[in-house]
Amino acid sequence: MCHVKTQDFKKASKKAVKDPKLQATLKRVMHHFDDARRDAIEEVTPQRWEELRQQGRKIKEHTLDNLDYYLEMLSERVSQAGGVVHFARDAKEATSIVAELVRSRSVKTVVKSKSMVSEEINLNHVLADIGVEALETDLGEYIIQLSEEAPFHIIAPAMHKTKEDVSDLFSKKLGTPHIERIDDLAAVARQSLREKFLKAEMGITGANFLVAETGTLVIVTNEGNGRLCTSAPRIHVAISGMEKIVPSLEDLPVFLRLLPRAATGQRITSYVSFINGPRRPQDEDGPEEFHLIITDNGRSRLLRDPELREALYCIRCGACLNICPIYRNVGGHAYGWVYPGPIGAVVSPIMVGLNKAKDLPNASSLCGACRDVCPIKIDIPHMLLNLRSKLMESPDPQERKRSLEDRVFAWAFLTLMHSPRMLALGHALGRILQRPFLRSGRIRRIPIPPFSVWTKSRDLPPLAKKSFHRIWEEELSQEE
Amino acid sequence: MEKNMPLGTSKEEFIRGIQEVLGKKERRPVESYQRLRESLADLEERLKVMWERLEGMRSQLLGALVETAAKMGWNVHRASSIEEALSYIRGLMESKGVKRVVRSDQEIFAALPLDQPLAHMDIRVTVMAQNLAGTPEELREEAASADIGITGVDYAIAETGSVVVIPRQGLSRLVSLLPSIHLAILQPHQVLESLEDIFLLRRQAYLQDGDMGSYMNFITGPSRTADIEQTIVIGVHGPKEAHMLILE
Repeated sequence: MCHVKTQDFKKASKKAVKDPKLQATLKRVMHHFDDARRDAIEEVTPQRWEELRQQGRKIKEHTLDNLDYYLEMLSERVSQAGGVVHFARDAKEATSIVAELVRSRSVKTVVKSKSMVSEEINLNHVLADIGVEALETDLGEYIIQLSEEAPFHIIAPAMHKTKEDVSDLFSKKLGTPHIERIDDLAAVARQSLREKFLKAEMGITGANFLVAETGTLVIVTNEGNGRLCTSAPRIHVAISGMEKIVPSLEDLPVFLRLLPRAATGQRITSYVSFINGPRRPQDEDGPEEFHLIITDNGRSRLLRDPELREALYCIRCGACLNICPIYRNVGGHAYGWVYPGPIGAVVSPIMVGLNKAKDLPNASSLCGACRDVCPIKIDIPHMLLNLRSKLMESPDPQERKRSLEDRVFAWAFLTLMHSPRMLALGHALGRILQRPFLRSGRIRRIPIPPFSVWTKSRDLPPLAKKSFHRIWEEELSQEE
Repeated sequence: MEKNMPLGTSKEEFIRGIQEVLGKKERRPVESYQRLRESLADLEERLKVMWERLEGMRSQLLGALVETAAKMGWNVHRASSIEEALSYIRGLMESKGVKRVVRSDQEIFAALPLDQPLAHMDIRVTVMAQNLAGTPEELREEAASADIGITGVDYAIAETGSVVVIPRQGLSRLVSLLPSIHLAILQPHQVLESLEDIFLLRRQAYLQDGDMGSYMNFITGPSRTADIEQTIVIGVHGPKEAHMLILE
């Protein structure tokens, strides 16, 4: 369920900031993942963590710089293992591949494990349209599927829901009585999905990593739904972005140490599953067919631009979301598409169109916290600045468009900074204009916007009598 | 439609497109990846060194595994004899009120014969192997209604407190997944030190046979989630309890 609403970011974030329930929930839960991440890093020691980050980045750099080579190797090896590899350039192609597989194999029920790509391509809607029951099995995804919402967070899609919300939702959609304990809510999901796992003809998953050398799909999970989706149904379809590749099996330790810690503070998740094609004839169980759909859907645009290529190193841990002061205040829905937070602010504009998401690169104070916590050392602020200048230099007037406020301030800044005399004049004028607003030597409140917004919760010091420039000229530069 | 016909864009077209985007003249990397230059002989040499290292630290590894596994949510029990192990298993069955057991068909059960002792407790034991006990549908039914699934392991990893299970003939994917309790039985010689060790082993297996089997799982404790209010719940779709029995 992911219609593009990136153009509503300003409106949606204003609404989010004013929503008392959302703010209370964010305040209560937002720090958990980040605290856990910090503890996990302490445990391996910060030096070791730094080593891992560098190793991880190096592997991704090499792989993405040679993506063609590794895609070819991966495809060959998966085919050798008995799997079928399909390539999809865009969402339409990807969904029609799944639809064709579903149709030709007479699939009635699909169980889905977490896949962000499947949200990009709106797979659930397409499947519903052709009369297939497609159930999300990851508890968070299951909840938002029932409530028909977009995911709120990459790792915890239903983070914004209280247990009361979930209990009400289950009552409404499943007919269960009011449930007090979170354990019991999880048990409802276990119960209602168990029979679906066993009856579904097809399991659809994403991929955390694809190992080129051995044609291996790696899925990192906690709940057991990933294992069930890849063990019970007779057909397994994995949909992955093309950037998930790592060259060798022996590259995995680095990423298996980085991902769980950065995402949830775990040393490792309950399950890590490695899939090499369909079952072998002598296996006791397992899918008879394995399909891997490798998707572009706009990633080649990121790949093509050397300034933006590193956005493809992302391992989807969510650490940047958890630390971002913007995300922590507005939450995931305001970002309007599959990927929220700092990484979303980079990839969404490129994937859905810069003109549809021009507020996203500006949804940042460039504090750099995201870059500091990223396990792959992705320089998100650098890319946000790059996107901002792309917007300013765009041939499309819509993309270049800035508010009147922005333009006035840009003009004023340019004029003042253009010449020392203009600046001195501005300073002198400012010292006169500030007088009516001084209270006990500080500027407490200026009722004219946008100064009114700035002074609502902060005081400003007054402009000094003499600029440093003058003090220097008059006093400090003199030799004693 | 031919069953294995790839759909979508042709592989050559897609990959050529990527090569163009990257502006590469040749498909191969300018600087080849060091790891991928290794031969089977290189891997076997490294494996030899690995096994020597592990031999020299058996009890240390076991201690580390026990400590980490417990932290990661396993109920760990060490048994220094067959009798002790059987007594532990009997106690576990009683305390959980187990009536039906499914188990894999692995070597460990020759060393630790538990079918008879459990039968004496009126517990039904089904071996999840088609050549022994029934059709896939019947076996799946049995696993879905069993109280506990018992398996051996292929390896254990001390660094992460995990067991490594590689499904194949006699070892179903579902036997350690469907029942709400999983009991994994392992022996000290199966314990590896780190993630590097397991992937070296699997890589060697792949290079040697051109195939490393269809599936492998690292299992670390019971299933869990924190999807509702970031509160950890143990036992979601996978087992609610994970027990580790070390037969020393």
